[in-house]
Amino acid sequence: MVKEKYSGLISVILQECPDADEEEIGNEFERYEKEFLIPPEDALRSVLRKFQISSGAEVGESTASPPRVEKKVEKFSELQAEDKNVTIEVAVISYTPRVQKVRGEDRQVAFGWIEDNPWEPSSERERWDFKDWGQKNDSLIPGSIVRLEGVSVNEWNGKKSVNINQTSRVSIIKEGMGESITISSEPLTLNKAIEKEGFVDLVARIISTKPDKIVRRDGSGEIDIVRGIIADLTGSVGFLSWKSLDFANGDLVKIKGASVRKFRDTPEINFNDGTIIELYHDSEFATFEELSSKSSKNIADLRNGMKGISITLQVESWNQRKFTGNDGTERIVRSGDVMDPTGRCRLTAWCEMNPMEGDFIRIEGARVQYWQGSPDLVIDDIEQVTNISSPPWEKIDPENHWIEVELSELVSGGSRRGIETSGTIISVRNDSGLIERCTECRRVLREGNCTEHGDQVGEEDLRLRFVIDNGISNASLLMSRDSAEEFLGMEMARVRDEISKSGKTEFVSDLRNKCLSRLVSIRGRSIVDEQGAMILSDTTNFSAINPKEYGNKIMEKWSLIL
Amino acid sequence: MISENSSRRIRQPAIRIFAQEYSEASLIEEGQGEYDPSFVITKLGARVNRAIVCGVIDRLQRSESDNGPNYSGQIRDPTGSHFFSVASFQPELHADIEELLVRYESGDRFLMTIVGRARWFESDEGGVFTSLRVEEFALISQEIYKLWLADTADSTMRRIDSYAKSQDYEVEVSSYLNAGIHRDLASGIISSRGHYSSFDTEIYRVGVLQALSLATERGSSIDNESEKEEDLDNGNEEESQGNLQPREVILQFLETRKGDFVDYDSIVSECSRLGISREEAEDAIEYLRETSGEIIEPKFGFYRLI
Repeated sequence: MVKEKYSGLISVILQECPDADEEEIGNEFERYEKEFLIPPEDALRSVLRKFQISSGAEVGESTASPPRVEKKVEKFSELQAEDKNVTIEVAVISYTPRVQKVRGEDRQVAFGWIEDNPWEPSSERERWDFKDWGQKNDSLIPGSIVRLEGVSVNEWNGKKSVNINQTSRVSIIKEGMGESITISSEPLTLNKAIEKEGFVDLVARIISTKPDKIVRRDGSGEIDIVRGIIADLTGSVGFLSWKSLDFANGDLVKIKGASVRKFRDTPEINFNDGTIIELYHDSEFATFEELSSKSSKNIADLRNGMKGISITLQVESWNQRKFTGNDGTERIVRSGDVMDPTGRCRLTAWCEMNPMEGDFIRIEGARVQYWQGSPDLVIDDIEQVTNISSPPWEKIDPENHWIEVELSELVSGGSRRGIETSGTIISVRNDSGLIERCTECRRVLREGNCTEHGDQVGEEDLRLRFVIDNGISNASLLMSRDSAEEFLGMEMARVRDEISKSGKTEFVSDLRNKCLSRLVSIRGRSIVDEQGAMILSDTTNFSAINPKEYGNKIMEKWSLIL
Repeated sequence: MISENSSRRIRQPAIRIFAQEYSEASLIEEGQGEYDPSFVITKLGARVNRAIVCGVIDRLQRSESDNGPNYSGQIRDPTGSHFFSVASFQPELHADIEELLVRYESGDRFLMTIVGRARWFESDEGGVFTSLRVEEFALISQEIYKLWLADTADSTMRRIDSYAKSQDYEVEVSSYLNAGIHRDLASGIISSRGHYSSFDTEIYRVGVLQALSLATERGSSIDNESEKEEDLDNGNEEESQGNLQPREVILQFLETRKGDFVDYDSIVSECSRLGISREEAEDAIEYLRETSGEIIEPKFGFYRLI
């Protein structure tokens, strides 16, 4: 069925590409709108180009030499084995330079991984190998998003990869945090290695090992693997070995050609068939005891997907809840809020654990899952928990436990609870104010309609949306009803009165006059993902600093004299 | 709105920037793809895609086009004027800007803040004219304006400092980072060094000092006398000394007529009554209006304290 709303745009495409199928064009606009969130008008050029190319390619097949048209694609799956002059946006995952003899000369080439769909989370992406023949190491920086132009597809043994040639163009769209990688034979420290992704050489001590199995997805059996932790003075990281390991805990090893991969947000070192691991001697290297005590984490370090966490916590609250599992049996889950000096998070226990409020506990081997966008510690066995009698820190008062985090640090870190930050309001969103929520799923209704549960009389709610910014980083700021009422200094009922009196636009306009370019300090929690950072505030207050004070502070900072 | 699709991209920060730095920028870095951000790169290396600016309304007008009304205007800060526009395809802003237009046309002037996206126009002679396309705007109090002045002074000093540091290092991101230059400025400074001929960062430092003097009230008549005399002496060197007295007289005179518009001749005659020459008085009015921005001229020939 051709979508009515796109009919005008479809006719534009049909003028240029008379052979294209109306329904296909309609579907393409819908895909741009729903999947890529590009409104139809803005998608016109991309859609047009797509249909021009596909009709051009058909012509090409019947002639002797394929025309050198640019093939612009969004995904690797759209590429054929012989495609040349391809344009695609990718995320650079790894970049490993090597010196290779090319026609008798030493040339630096590099290989690595790239992923398509770079603006989407990794689960939506496909990863391919690439080879760089053009020494583009300054642009192909791991962590960055780049547009490749004029690259070609190579197929070998049924596996496709991308060749980046000397004539190819690489433009950085979003800069990565890393630096350009050049050849180095020096082993890396762990903190540097886990930033890289790709192949690395390391010297590290084995802290723990545990045999494990991975079940093949196609059901054809299990693979024996070894999991564990390696560490040096700069940090510790989990590893996964696809081959057996003949080393004991505490052994110092030199590892050549290990690969760094990301599981959820957490880096992991992989030992493959090609990885060489051998005992290493260095009497200066940190001892096993030193390193195993250092591998302990605090709450601010937690990232989704981490495993084997050792951490000390203060319990803030504890609850238990019964529910019926998928298999019909009744199960109990216990959970609560926990704190340490770096923040707070939730702890979920699938075992009989009943700490008291204010207890200090030490847990080992915990894993991290995301719960409503924030890291949640999970343990399965009571053996993982020990009570600590001597307090590791002066007892934290949960009412007053807010960790001040600078906005730029917050935006570049992981999701955190119990944080305090500040920024200038640079946008007051037009959808701030009263909304209606679905009575079943709490989704915001659009014109009285929930995408899941249909037309209905929704439940009224109050919500304010802003963007805060410090000139370098920014985050969206969301206030739910309680937080918004406190910030506005009025209850939802009064907001309703005001809006019915002077209108929704006027309400937002007033709010904007009250807030735009004001510095605010916020307490709440942050959710950080590929889309950027969002802060859900408990409280938001205008900064109390006056211009004179602030101006004097800045003069002092830069040693200025008037 | 076209900018909506940029939500797929990481949102660009709002650069705090004075009018002088932005208007003297002539280097444009256009994004290569359909949705890539473009930047105006200033001499100090700020990469401006979005900016937050404040100032007093200095011009506002509507022009009709086939697609509806367009608005353009200027707001002035201590260093110069920011040009801004509201396009016909931004109907969500039209109601509020019309309200301002009515106030403006009735002679009212006010402080406002604008968050906008970098726009530019290249003349046939190759000159580049930078402006901002408004995303959001609001009226602000003087206190908020002063906080912006201080904040923008800070950001400008940060750029001046990084730019100065970069002098001694190889023009390369990695060596800049090693020199302690912030990541958000390193690539902009490289672009700047490749485009602009060398300049003295002092020209922007003067604007910083003006802004801070306004923010901390050292430059106005509100503070105690001796402190202020000293400040103006230091801030504006020899030339300002002669003007110091007339400026104070004018500010005090307008203070006594708070809120009212005072005509040019009354100000000049008040000055001459106190033994200040006409020339000195005219210079002082010019300084207060153009340079320090402590008084405004909402209607031709009529003045008021800001």
